[in-house]
Parts: sequence; structure tokens; C-alpha cells
Amino acid sequence: MSLLQISEPGGGAARQAIHRRAAGIDLGTTNSLIATAVGGEVRTLADACGGHLLPSAVHYGAAGVLAVGAAAKARATADPGNVIVSAKRALGKSLGELQAGGNFRPYRFDAGKGEAAPAFATAAGPKDPVQVSATILSALARRCREETGEELAGAVITVPAYFNDAQRQQTRHAAELAGVEVLRLLNEPTAAAVAYGLDRGEQGNIIVFDLGGGTFDVSLLSLRKGVFEVLATGGDTALGGDDFDQAVADWLIAQSGAEAVAAPDWPALLQVANRARERLGDADQAEVAWRGWRGALDAAQFTEIAAPLVRRTILSCRRVMRDAGMDTGAIDHVLLVGGATRMPVIRGAVAKFFGREPLADIDPDRVVAMGAGIQAEVLIGNQPAGDFLLLDVNPLSLGVETMGELVEKIIRRNTAIPVAKSQEFTTFKDGQTAMALHVVQGERELVGECRSLARFTLGGIPPMVAGAAKVKVTFQVDADGLLSVSAEEASTGSKAEVQVKPSFGLDSGQVEQMLRDSRDRARDDMQARALGEARLDATRLMDAISGAIEEDGEILSAAEQGDIDQALAELREAMEEDDSARIEELTRQLNQVSEAFAARRMDLAAGAALCGESIDTLDREAG
Amino acid sequence: MLAIADNFFAQFALPVGFEIHPGKLNARYRKLQAEVHPDRFAAAGEAQRLQAIQLSSHLNEAYETLKSPLRRAGYLLRLRGIDVEQVAQSDLAPELLFEQMELRESLADLPEDESAFDQLHELNRKAANRLAERQGQFVQAFAGNRLEEARKLFHELQFLHKFQMEIHKKEESLESVADF
Repeated sequence: MSLLQISEPGGGAARQAIHRRAAGIDLGTTNSLIATAVGGEVRTLADACGGHLLPSAVHYGAAGVLAVGAAAKARATADPGNVIVSAKRALGKSLGELQAGGNFRPYRFDAGKGEAAPAFATAAGPKDPVQVSATILSALARRCREETGEELAGAVITVPAYFNDAQRQQTRHAAELAGVEVLRLLNEPTAAAVAYGLDRGEQGNIIVFDLGGGTFDVSLLSLRKGVFEVLATGGDTALGGDDFDQAVADWLIAQSGAEAVAAPDWPALLQVANRARERLGDADQAEVAWRGWRGALDAAQFTEIAAPLVRRTILSCRRVMRDAGMDTGAIDHVLLVGGATRMPVIRGAVAKFFGREPLADIDPDRVVAMGAGIQAEVLIGNQPAGDFLLLDVNPLSLGVETMGELVEKIIRRNTAIPVAKSQEFTTFKDGQTAMALHVVQGERELVGECRSLARFTLGGIPPMVAGAAKVKVTFQVDADGLLSVSAEEASTGSKAEVQVKPSFGLDSGQVEQMLRDSRDRARDDMQARALGEARLDATRLMDAISGAIEEDGEILSAAEQGDIDQALAELREAMEEDDSARIEELTRQLNQVSEAFAARRMDLAAGAALCGESIDTLDREAG
Repeated sequence: MLAIADNFFAQFALPVGFEIHPGKLNARYRKLQAEVHPDRFAAAGEAQRLQAIQLSSHLNEAYETLKSPLRRAGYLLRLRGIDVEQVAQSDLAPELLFEQMELRESLADLPEDESAFDQLHELNRKAANRLAERQGQFVQAFAGNRLEEARKLFHELQFLHKFQMEIHKKEESLESVADF
């Protein structure tokens, strides 16, 4: 070690110019992936062990997050209540919805935060689906940073086309919480078509059939000259490969005559079911063993077990074709996305309905992330946009409640977005001075059967007879599919508006609090890092000076020696405290008082070299 | 930046009229969206992004209006200063009201099982034929500047369109219980 090593001004390595690193993130129910441009080509990134899929699992312990991904998933059997999997399915759901139907066993939910903000009860305290998702996003961002050596500047995150407003909002909140800048939320099927379309230049009408772990989407896209137009979308937010596992598990319970299965045993049972189902992908029969019971599940039995679920997927396909007013004969390509489409029963049913063999050339698990990665490159400006553009639709109808608990739809499903639509409403009673607006989402006629998105009140309406006031209500949906609503009374210009926030889940105050918390944590982290770096620099300098004095102390004057000793003592004292700024200041001071000494040592070294010392020594000295 | 045209037809450089070239409409819509879509301004400032949303929304509204024959018909009337929002019973001749009632009743009387599919398809065919017929009449009335007649035909088109939606809904609810 030499003095020269740390005499660099400013302390620490000079930062490299920041490249705009963009990535596509498939935040999946079962697995998540990140894809980015590597050597001019967008591909998914693997972890240290070579796995591209990051299981969407987080393990919580008393100290906080213990593990994310495969390590967390591996603990699901041992510590089922504290390993949160499939958190995506809980996004945008109310406490009641989470507790009903047994879809979320074996979890307990935290009632303390109330109906509006349900959270998983874990050893680390209540963790809501947004926090769990943020942890997964952070892990992916870290993987990207480690692989590319660059900070993630922006990401395209995919969501099921069928995601409602609350679910989209919460996905965005999760990204904010993880410090990931969202360039765009992109519908998963669209992302898949991007991957196929750009790689092969396909043209025509495309069906994307996406059966993932927990969600099902089917989209009809038209692709012409680089412009994708989403003609119609449909699907089911509560249907996926997990349901097939569940069906097999129920079958297993019935076959084995087992008693009711306790909550902690479910993950193990579901794993047995999942293995059996996956084995049926290439075998006619799968051996199964559960609690001492042994048996076999054959393809025919599985087809029967799966039939109601398969039927639900085909019903959605019919609906999409009908919405688009198109015949299956007009379809040019059918793309399969999602690990669950590896099931022969699915491939068979899809091929039969559309009358053509589906494409599955790109790994159905990776294709969505790759498409999102391609789109991210374009949006961040690394790739010229060219003709490439996605024209999306609004997947679910949006409307307001009218008299009689009916829904007046303002923006119908499958309307191209962004879109702004207005409609006029009037008062119901004489002298009515305010109007309560209830914004809902869904296809049903009755308010109770739609999802409530927001309520707000427009006041300041001058008293008039019923029906005389004119209130213009405007719905605006942006390119991400997020809604804002405003209402304006014509005669007075009185106005009210609302940026629709999820009415289930987090309200904006809670999100702000979470953001503050995470920023505070980030600040703490930064301070800790600054302190660590300052101490390290100081230690290096003190070691170097002590070593140099030992070697060449004779060339120091008494005054110099005194200054250096004093600076050393002060710095040593400061090192006992946690003030990184003071440590840095004293390090600079020590560096300054020892500068002349360092220069003379360099002259000495140069002189030594001229006397026949090896160049190696010089290099080492110069550091 | 895109200039907002006087009317939706002009926005896509199409002549004002019921008959439009769907290929041209689609190609021009896509070309203009490629210029103004918010994705083109993902990295731009707030003001530019807002403007992109507005222009893109405007194009979507124009495109959706012209793409659907029914909405296109209504828009043409509106351009001529005719209020198509208000509809009175007197706008429809008694025989037409009777025809509508008949259609609705046949839909309501369908059995709640698979045997309904054939009848449903028959009803759908009937509605589609009538829709095509009325549409032809609308085009002639509008071209002949018989606007009051065109307005009545427009309301009939509206009814038939709505009726088709109801057929689709019925079909959907039947499918969810039927086996196929």
C-alpha cells in the first residue's frame, strides 16, 4: 500500500456516465422474469445458478425478508404461513374476497389493517400484496444491476390485460415502492405478440392465449406494419395453472379418503398435485403418493378433472371473438403463453376451437418478459421507435351509478385507449345542490355486481328544479389503462375530480406512508454506506501513512511529524463516532499534511529506480 | 403536432358521407396514432405527455365513431345539426314498434338450454338482415337530403343494434351452462 493510492481528490472512484438501462419485467403469479438488451438482443437474465424464472415467493421471518425466489419457495412446506406465493392474485382484493373461497389457503390475513387494506399475517408483521410484489421487483432490479453493472433507469411491467384499475394501480405502487421507474404497464398478451411479431415479422390477426399460474388472458390483436391494434381482450383474473393443481389436489383427497387437510399441509399437497400434472405433459400416467396412499392419475382422468377449467378458457375465447365481430376463420396465428399452456389438454382444446395448431416456438414462460424488454428499449429511447406502436384497449367497461342502482357505462370494454368520454347527467330532486358520483367497473347492469372504484361528490350546484341542472361527467383513461374522472356543472362551472385509486387495498395516504417509509429506509441505507466508505478510506490512509513513516520516517521534519501525528490522532478519535462527514474532513486534512512527505517519497522511489531498482517496484509504489 | 380537423372525416382525409373505405380509414388512423401516441412521448415533459394523451384520445374517438356504421350514421346527422340523443315514440311508426316488440318477445321466450342456440342464430340472422336493409335505406335518405326520414331510420338502426347485443348476451349466458 502506498500514499499515492488515496491521494485522489474527492475520494472514491469516479462515476461512469450513466447508460439508460431499460428492462421488461414479467411480474407473474408463480414466477417473475426480467429481460434486457444484452449485446443488441433482448433476453431474459438468469440468476447465479442459471435459472431465469424467479419464483414469485417471499419468505418472512421476525427480522423481515429472509429470502426471495427459489430459496423462499423451498421453505413453503416447512414454513407455509410465512412464505407468500401467488401474491399477485391478492392484488386489488378486499379482505372478504381474500378470505372467501379457500383460494388463499394456507394464509392468515391481517384484519387489524381493516377491510380496505388486507395484508398477509407473517412473522414479520402484516405484509400486503403490494409490499410482497415490491420485494420481488427489487430482487429482479438487483439481478439486472448485477448482470449489467448498470442501474435500472426504467422498466415496462406487464399485467394481465384483464387486470382492473385497482390491480393496475397497485402494480404501479409496488414498482414505486421498489424504486423502479415504470415506463409503461403493458398487457401481457400484447408483450407476447411483440416478441413474436418483431422477431419474425408476422402479420395478420393474432390470438394470444395466455394461461399462467394464476391468471388467464386471451387477446385478439391485429398487426400491420409494426402497429399492433388490440381488437378485443377477455379472460379471468382467477384462473390459472394453480387451479389445475388445486383440482388435482381435490381429486387426490377424494381418492385417498383423507380427512380434511389442515392449512399447513396444503403446500405439500399442491406440490404433489403439481408434479403429477406436469408429468402428464409427456406421459400417459403419473404415479402419485400422498400420506401413505399410492395411486396413479392417467391422462383421461386428468382431462375429466380439468374439463370445467378448460371450458372456462374456451368460453373467454368465444366472447373475445364475438366482441371483435370476427370468425375464428379470420385468425392467422394462435400464440401460447404461460407455463400452463404446456398441458396437452389445453393445446388440444385451443387447436380445436381455433381450427389451427398454436405456435409455441418461444419459451412460453419467457416470451412476455422478452416482449416487455423490447418495448422498454423503444420507450426509453435506446431503440428508434420506427413504425412500432401498440394501440391498446380498455379491458373492462367503466361507468357511473345512476338511479335505481343501475350502471350507466361511459367507456365500454374494448374501446381503444387513451380515451376521454363525457356524458351529461342531471339532478333527481328539486333544489338538489350536490351530486354523489360512484364510479364502477364491470360488464353487469347492476352496481352491486360491478367493482366499485371511487366515490366523490360534486357540490356547488345552484338550486334548480329536478332535471334542470346539467352535469358533465368526463372519464379519461390513459395509455396505461388508468382512469381519472371529473364532473362539471354547466351553469356555474363548479368542478370536482378524482384520480381513481383502488377502493380496495391501499388508499393514497397509505401508499404515501409506505413510500415515505421506504425512502427513509433508503436514506438510512445511504448514510450507512457513506459511513462505511469514509471509514474505509480513512483506514487505508492511516495504514499507508504509518507504513510510510516506518519505512522512510527519517525524511520527515519534526514539525511535519508533529502535524501528521496530530491529524492521525484526531482522525482515530473521529472513527469512534458515526459522523461520516467529520471522518471525511479529517481524512482530507491528514492527506493534506502528509502531501509534502508523499512527494519526497516519490522522488526517493524514482531515484531508487534510476539506481537499478526494478520497474515492478516503481509500479507497485505508484499504485 | 397534429392539427384537429373540422370533423372526423376530414381528420382522416376522407370525404364526408356514409360510404367510407375501411382500409384507408384504418391505415390513416394508424399513421396518425404513430405520430401522437403517448408512447412516443414516454420520456418527454409533462405538458407534452398531456397533449399526446389528448390528441391520441381525439384520434381514437374519431376512429371509433367512423369505424362503426351505426355511430357513423349518428355522427353524419349530428354534423347536419340533428339531435340524435332525443328519441320520441312518435319517431317510430306503429308497425315498427310492433316489429320490435315481436323480436323482443321471441328472445324472451327462448328455452334456457342448448336447444335455444339454433333459434338464437336464426334471430341473429333476421336482425342482421334487417340492419342491412335499413342501412341501405338510411344511405339513400341521407344522400337525398331527406334528413327527417334518415333520423327515423337511424333510430331503427339503433334498436336493431341493441337487439343484436341482447342476442349476444343471451348466447353468452347459454354457453356458460351448455356443454360443447
